[in-house]
Amino acid sequence: TTIVGLTTQDGVLMASDMRASLGGRVISNKNVQKVEEIQPNAALSISGSVGGAQSFIRSLRAEANLYEARRGEYMSIDALSTMASNLLRGGPFFRVVPILGGVDDDGGHVFSLDPAGSSMSDTYTAQGSGMPYALGVLEQEYSEDLTMADAEQVAAHAVKSASERDTASGNGIHITKITHDGLTTVGHKEFDALL
Amino acid sequence: MQGQNQQQAYDRGITIFSPDGRLYQVEYAREAVKRGTASIGVRTPEGVVLVVDKQTRSPLLEGSSVEKLHKIDDHVGAASAGHVADARQLVDFARQQSQVERVRYDEPIGVRTLTKSVTDHIQQYTQVGGARPFGVALLIAGVEGGEPRLFETDPSGTSNEWKAVAIGSNRGDIQEFLEDEYDAGLSVDDGIDLALRALNEGREDALSGDGVGVGIVDADTGTYRELAADESQSYIDDIEDAADDSDDDDDEE
Repeated sequence: TTIVGLTTQDGVLMASDMRASLGGRVISNKNVQKVEEIQPNAALSISGSVGGAQSFIRSLRAEANLYEARRGEYMSIDALSTMASNLLRGGPFFRVVPILGGVDDDGGHVFSLDPAGSSMSDTYTAQGSGMPYALGVLEQEYSEDLTMADAEQVAAHAVKSASERDTASGNGIHITKITHDGLTTVGHKEFDALL
Repeated sequence: MQGQNQQQAYDRGITIFSPDGRLYQVEYAREAVKRGTASIGVRTPEGVVLVVDKQTRSPLLEGSSVEKLHKIDDHVGAASAGHVADARQLVDFARQQSQVERVRYDEPIGVRTLTKSVTDHIQQYTQVGGARPFGVALLIAGVEGGEPRLFETDPSGTSNEWKAVAIGSNRGDIQEFLEDEYDAGLSVDDGIDLALRALNEGREDALSGDGVGVGIVDADTGTYRELAADESQSYIDDIEDAADDSDDDDDEE
């Protein structure tokens, strides 16, 4: 798996590859969407155990929906990351290493999470088996003044590089854009159109 | 004297039937509902309308803090009549059940299923010792499989499905008005109009946008939303204009 999250001028851009594999040796699914909406201004990218991640996402959504029904507004991304980290720390979600991205009144945020409950804010981050390759690209190409269109190119480049060399990454890319206007996810089987 | 004491004993514990088969505490809880301001539900093919009376005791009270309409889930809203604090407990129970359904099955909860789980919860408080029943009735409005549904719960834990219904004070008159005026082919706008006119029935002071709450579950989008005060006011203005027009007609005749 390769997942990346970037803050941009207008919000957050997240990208993920489409391959599910068994230990990087056998491709078990060639068309996986690894980014899921949690609430209209936030999404979670998953790496690690698929079952753990799916269960984690169900729990996160339930908490986010309850918060919204009770208070009439969605959680800030800080609050959502704290809630996610508390769930990971206390919960049975083994072997998931997610990236949380979202937009609120304070702008775009990206958080790296891990199963022990760590929650670290960042301007850009990558995770999964392809993370070293993706980070290499992001270190070269990321800057804080990227527009969404620029960030899409950078993220696609990062995921493409990882897909070339990491056996557990590949089969295409999903791009998720989160702005104050909402959240969209588009899948591409080829990288060419994005680069 | 002895007889009177015995009679009184039947309303002490709610788990005790009176000799003629009544549960007095449950009946008293129904009285508590009647003391609450009215809430009205109208089902139309386009969606379900909830209208609540939130007239305030003082002009200094912030109207937005009066809780009579509640979002339960994306596709379900509820209106209450009776004890607000009791309503909050039931509403939160319903919200949690809605999310449990999504976690368990990844599906929005059915309105009937949700209502049944709420009424099962209410029923327990009519049978368990040391507790009192909920002094509140709810209207649960939602969309299930694209179909608008409207249910009522009462303090005994009974549920009923309605085309149009009122709970709370002045229920009798409002229900009669609904029965006379209801039409199965109403639009949502007509539904709001009908519910507001029903609420206006037998009222002394005029309706105002701040004094009512309007919630709509739209069948197409399957989402619940509440109208802002100025939106409600425009519906009230339309009713008043229509009333003025019909007065004019009377003059001409």
